[in-house]
Amino acid sequence: MTTAVRFENYSWRYSRTKEQALKEINLEIEEGLLVGVIGPNGSGKTTLAYSMNGLIPNQYNGIRKGSVKIYDEEVTEMDQAQLCQQVGLVFSDPEAQFTAMTVEDEVVFGMENMGLTYQEIEERLDWVVPLTDIEELMEKPPYEVSGGQKQRVALASVLSMRPPVLMLDEPTSMLDPIGRRRIFDVLGRLKREYQSTIIIVEHSLENLIPLADLMVLVYEGEVLLVDETEPFFQKLDYLMEHHIYPPGVLEFFHHLKKSGDYPEASALPESVGEGEKQLRRLLENKA
Amino acid sequence: MQKMNKTILGYVPEESPLYRIHPFVRLLFLMVVSLFPMFISSPEWNFGIILLVLAILVYSRVNLKTLRVYIPLSISMGVLILLTHTVLGGRHPEFFVAFRIFDFPFYYERIVAAVDVYARILPMIFVMVLFLSTSRERDILVAFRWARIPFVVTYLGAMALRSVGMVIEDFSIVRQAEKARGFDPQGKSIRYKMRQFVMYIIPLFALALRRSDEFANAIVARGYSFTGLKGVDRADYILHQYEFRTRDAVLSGIIFLSLIAVLVARYGFGYLSLDDSLTVQLLESLLKGGAQ
Amino acid sequence: MNEKQPFLTVRDLSYRYEDGTLALENVNLTLDDGDFVALIGQNGSGKTTLSKCLNGLFKPTEGTVMVDELDTRKTSITKMAVRVGYIFQNPDHQLFNGSVWEEIAYGPKNIELPEEETRERVEEAARVVGLDPETFEKPPFFLPKGIRQRVAIASILALRPRIIIVDEPTTGQDRRQALEIMNFLVRLHEERDHIIVFITHDMPIVSQYAKRIVLMGEGHVLADGPTAEVFAQPDKLEETFVEPPQITQLAQAVEDLGFDPGTLLVEEMVERYRELKG
Repeated sequence: MTTAVRFENYSWRYSRTKEQALKEINLEIEEGLLVGVIGPNGSGKTTLAYSMNGLIPNQYNGIRKGSVKIYDEEVTEMDQAQLCQQVGLVFSDPEAQFTAMTVEDEVVFGMENMGLTYQEIEERLDWVVPLTDIEELMEKPPYEVSGGQKQRVALASVLSMRPPVLMLDEPTSMLDPIGRRRIFDVLGRLKREYQSTIIIVEHSLENLIPLADLMVLVYEGEVLLVDETEPFFQKLDYLMEHHIYPPGVLEFFHHLKKSGDYPEASALPESVGEGEKQLRRLLENKA
Repeated sequence: MQKMNKTILGYVPEESPLYRIHPFVRLLFLMVVSLFPMFISSPEWNFGIILLVLAILVYSRVNLKTLRVYIPLSISMGVLILLTHTVLGGRHPEFFVAFRIFDFPFYYERIVAAVDVYARILPMIFVMVLFLSTSRERDILVAFRWARIPFVVTYLGAMALRSVGMVIEDFSIVRQAEKARGFDPQGKSIRYKMRQFVMYIIPLFALALRRSDEFANAIVARGYSFTGLKGVDRADYILHQYEFRTRDAVLSGIIFLSLIAVLVARYGFGYLSLDDSLTVQLLESLLKGGAQ
Repeated sequence: MNEKQPFLTVRDLSYRYEDGTLALENVNLTLDDGDFVALIGQNGSGKTTLSKCLNGLFKPTEGTVMVDELDTRKTSITKMAVRVGYIFQNPDHQLFNGSVWEEIAYGPKNIELPEEETRERVEEAARVVGLDPETFEKPPFFLPKGIRQRVAIASILALRPRIIIVDEPTTGQDRRQALEIMNFLVRLHEERDHIIVFITHDMPIVSQYAKRIVLMGEGHVLADGPTAEVFAQPDKLEETFVEPPQITQLAQAVEDLGFDPGTLLVEEMVERYRELKG
């Protein structure tokens, strides 16, 4: 399988701080996976994201060491045009991302920058607009659009450029639960319909876990743990030591595992539905 | 009651026959017709422009109640113009004294001059109000883009509008935050209220600064670097949504022709002048009549 | 003898915006000592509007809000600010003074406290939020976000309001930061007798910290009661698109097996499981 993203001994320190933001990161992400990146605030997740699409080092001052490669091409050797067509980035603040005066203008912005023709833009809109569910919003100005809707617009705007690597930096942290749910619905659909590598930095594990193929733990500038989702969360104690708080269902079954009530070999349920199934099995067996 | 939608700059009707006219034509109307009062000295003709604008406003289904905000402005401006021309205009023995108030002379020539100025400014305001009341932000941007104004300029304009919108939202929250800390401007001195100004500016600035960083990232991440990507022709997709029809060309033609007509009437034939106008004749009979 | 009135009483409160939309309708509510309340509901349910009616930022279009026997419609903002404090979500919306000290002292100065007392209050507030005195002379803007937040909170605490309303204290925070803030609010509540009202979307936090929930939907109070009770009414919650925390959902899904639909914490669930297992 091809490696979409590769960090090799990558370090970054912002010029205004004394601490290293990222320390000798080594990370390989195969194409086609949906990857969850988690860790406490300030651990370097955003720096990691920005390093992938060139915002670091192009927009920020600091000291860079090592390499970041997208499909084997070094980020610092790609110009802005190539970078934004290779890696799309959705930011966490819905307000500060929306720079145009209508939704349509916003979605079309990236495509116009790429120099696509009118027909090509139309075609891509036909794909991206229903996917992100923003048909009714197209004529609206930003102040008539909610935060959750703005994030879907941002997603549409980035997706329309069809980057093979899509990054989302805490896309739902400023949204209410409905907005959050809808973003994850779109991401789920995206995973099925769009063959690309999707990397999501998130705090909302509840929504992330069912979707993620691979999980990465970033802590104090280092990548401490990388694994497929199931084995990743088997190490719950380790995660909790590093301030990762699992969703309720997961934590519950983890306790049961520790006390021997739940088989060691079995996977921890990742949703309420699965949890219910397992719980019934456990309790009905006793009778 | 016609439903109006809020924009950053005012209120626009939800539906309007004016929307069928290309935004560029509406912008042209604004730019050309607001020039008319510069060439038309006759007050009744200028007031005629106001009537024309009012007629268009009604035709466009603008809810006139939303224009009530402009009434105090119009009145206070008229008063201000009158005052500066008369009371603050000093004494001029060469002028004709129309009447006196508390022994201060009000000169006929000055009053005429005040009416002249007011009659020019008011239509300009009305035309601007018409434009703002019938154009959503998108229309304004489309008008500029269609006029081949460079993309950077219109995009910056769009971002400015967007920022203004966000600043307005921020402003209301900042005001609330200050109140929540006991700041009560009611019944306080002017100095206190000026301090208020500083209180608002600083947080608004700080918020805008932080936001501009994120704005910049969002734009760069989608490939724009303000000189555009190398050799890229922008498709300008939005423009395709608006068709410039024959009707629009005809209207543009009419607008230009009327400008020419005004210029010819004024400079070619000497019409539309101040001294020959009915208004001045009226004022003359009111203020001067019987005297001498 | 007259029964003491609750500190804050909302009676038949309705609030209509200038453009005519009805944001709140017939809201009735009381707040008193010992309350630690979560105000929840989807965006647009009226929870933020309600919270701003509580400290007089918004005046009721109908009905009354009485705080410490003062009517918010007839009381000055300054008088309200010393009774009901409001901590906004983004500290940058209020910081404007040249130094941290001046920022915290701003409130006391507004209510015209003598210098000595102002100094006491500033030092006390700074201590409570954990601000290093070294920061006193620094301008707030250049400090990191966490510190700016503390300064903003301290500036409200310096007014010593009995009620403190906090707008989305945990949004955008990671779990550990969220717990820190909530623990701080608990300390304010327990050690300094503040009544705490917090607006939030974070249900696990609500179940862990709130003693009482006020659930808003379309301008009405849909539910008002102890946390477990409110979470045990999934139909009410659904009306306003609120989902109880995962563990509560799990408990509700297996209610027939003997679990309590008002389960709030994982530990409770584990205990119950052990009991049922025998």
